[in-house]
Amino acid sequence: MGDVVLAIETSCDETAAAVVKGRAILSNVVASQADLHSVYGGVVPEVAARHHLTTVNAVIDRALDEAGVTLETIDRIAVTRRPGLIGALLVGVATAKAVAYALGKDLVMVDHLHGHVAACWLEPVALDPPFVALTASGGHTRLDLVGDYAAPVVLGQTLDDAAGEAIDKGARLLGIPYPGGPGLEALAREGDRTAFDFPVGLRSRGPGGLDFSYAGVKTALLYATRDLGDDGVRAHRADLAASYQEAIVRPLVDRLMRAAEIAGVPAVSIGGGVAANGRLRDLIRVAAEGRGLRVAIPDRSLCTDNAAMIAAAAHFTNAIPWPDFVGEDAIATAPPGGIAA
Amino acid sequence: MTTFALDTATPDPALALVAGDEVLAEAWLGRAPGSGRRVLQAAHHLLAMAALRPADLSEVVVGVGPGGFTGIRIGIATALGLGQALRIPVHGASTLEALAQGMVGATRPGEALLVPIIDARRRQVFAAAYAAGADGSLTEVISPSAWDPTDLSAALAAAGPCVLAGDGADLVPVPAQGHRATAAADRIMASNLIARVRRGGALPVAPQYLRLPDAEENRLRREGHGAPA
Ligand SMILES: [Zn+2]
Repeated sequence: MGDVVLAIETSCDETAAAVVKGRAILSNVVASQADLHSVYGGVVPEVAARHHLTTVNAVIDRALDEAGVTLETIDRIAVTRRPGLIGALLVGVATAKAVAYALGKDLVMVDHLHGHVAACWLEPVALDPPFVALTASGGHTRLDLVGDYAAPVVLGQTLDDAAGEAIDKGARLLGIPYPGGPGLEALAREGDRTAFDFPVGLRSRGPGGLDFSYAGVKTALLYATRDLGDDGVRAHRADLAASYQEAIVRPLVDRLMRAAEIAGVPAVSIGGGVAANGRLRDLIRVAAEGRGLRVAIPDRSLCTDNAAMIAAAAHFTNAIPWPDFVGEDAIATAPPGGIAA
Repeated sequence: MTTFALDTATPDPALALVAGDEVLAEAWLGRAPGSGRRVLQAAHHLLAMAALRPADLSEVVVGVGPGGFTGIRIGIATALGLGQALRIPVHGASTLEALAQGMVGATRPGEALLVPIIDARRRQVFAAAYAAGADGSLTEVISPSAWDPTDLSAALAAAGPCVLAGDGADLVPVPAQGHRATAAADRIMASNLIARVRRGGALPVAPQYLRLPDAEENRLRREGHGAPA
């Protein structure tokens, strides 16, 4: 089996394709729709699906061009099957199936969350197990124990909002345009993170106690802005942002460290769009150093949604031989047990 | 010259395999929600029955709607994926025109307008009206759009004799000078997509949504643009 993979990812609002050879990224192309959705204040599924369709073939062409390969030299095609916006996923899945079918190649159907975890396998990070992976984005907040890249085990996850979702909602309350992450972080840098005492989003479910909950902190911010009134919010905007951001990232750091301790692993990794947050990165670096843990933080382009990570996960997922995949379908939800490898 | 045609705009997706002028196979996936998701599987069976491989295809023709948004996208994504990988041309064709092409025998040329109608959900239909020529050509009289069924009925009553067909035809009150085509004409024949392209009716390979996303409609309304046409 050769190891040049063309991967396609269309689960949310990024149309992405990548060519990966072994652990080396030959190309990693992402056409972001963020600007398109900003006028709606969030991702609109129908708008996302429409845009994926007009973009996906050109994105694939560019990924092949930049990698200096042709479709004929690709060994396998990989695509995100789940979880995500179903209309968006279906564009990628239909495209990938047709391309693989036409070429007589095998198809690998990848779990998006597996992709976020497997991003660390790629060079130059090239992290080897065991480690605990934190994935935090607008759609997911999860801790996985990676003893083997083929079979990550879910240790904890959000019981309500995802961390990135909480950031976006909080940013909106503070009048920061979508996507709110970068704006909130910039504003938070000017503020006092101890000014407001927001509840930290920890929730214990079962003895492990490694889950997250962000509904409470979001509500607390809503009440705080109501109590302050428009003028008060204007006067304390930076302090609100700093305190709110702290209440979002603290539990991510605490849970990650606790999980690493319980699992007895020598390393941790972070991925997902929230991994781009500077405060989160700083806190994790400091906490990990104090515990003698290695921290793997892939480049930003590998943290946010991309197709190289899907190619990486494909390396650890069974390929469906040609033409058995023709009846395969996209699935909106994550499997109950975590990752479907 | 082997052409593969597919249309997944309606809940009864259609496929065809045509070699030159000969229709090798015509198939349907069956009326079921989301059946368009199985279109590649059906295509594989069709090719296998014809003892062909994907690489034997020389052209793809795809129905671009109007119809179900997700279905249209699956059809177009499949067609473009095949075209991209096989380096063969992909043409679009109107789903309504393909329906109308199948109705040509339902009336004598010039006698009545052909009105293909597709269920658009939310108590609306996608429809257009065509005059059929003696040579089987179609001339657009009412361009494709989303209609309130009673409005469409009134517009047709004003236009004169007409024949209605398609999966949305039963939602539209039949006007006085109109009649319902036989149920056989309700099914889209994918080979008629190819017929449309051969007759110069090729369209860009882009969905004919004929309706904005809800969020976009709401946004325009909020910003005071009024309800878009
Ligand atoms: Zn993601």
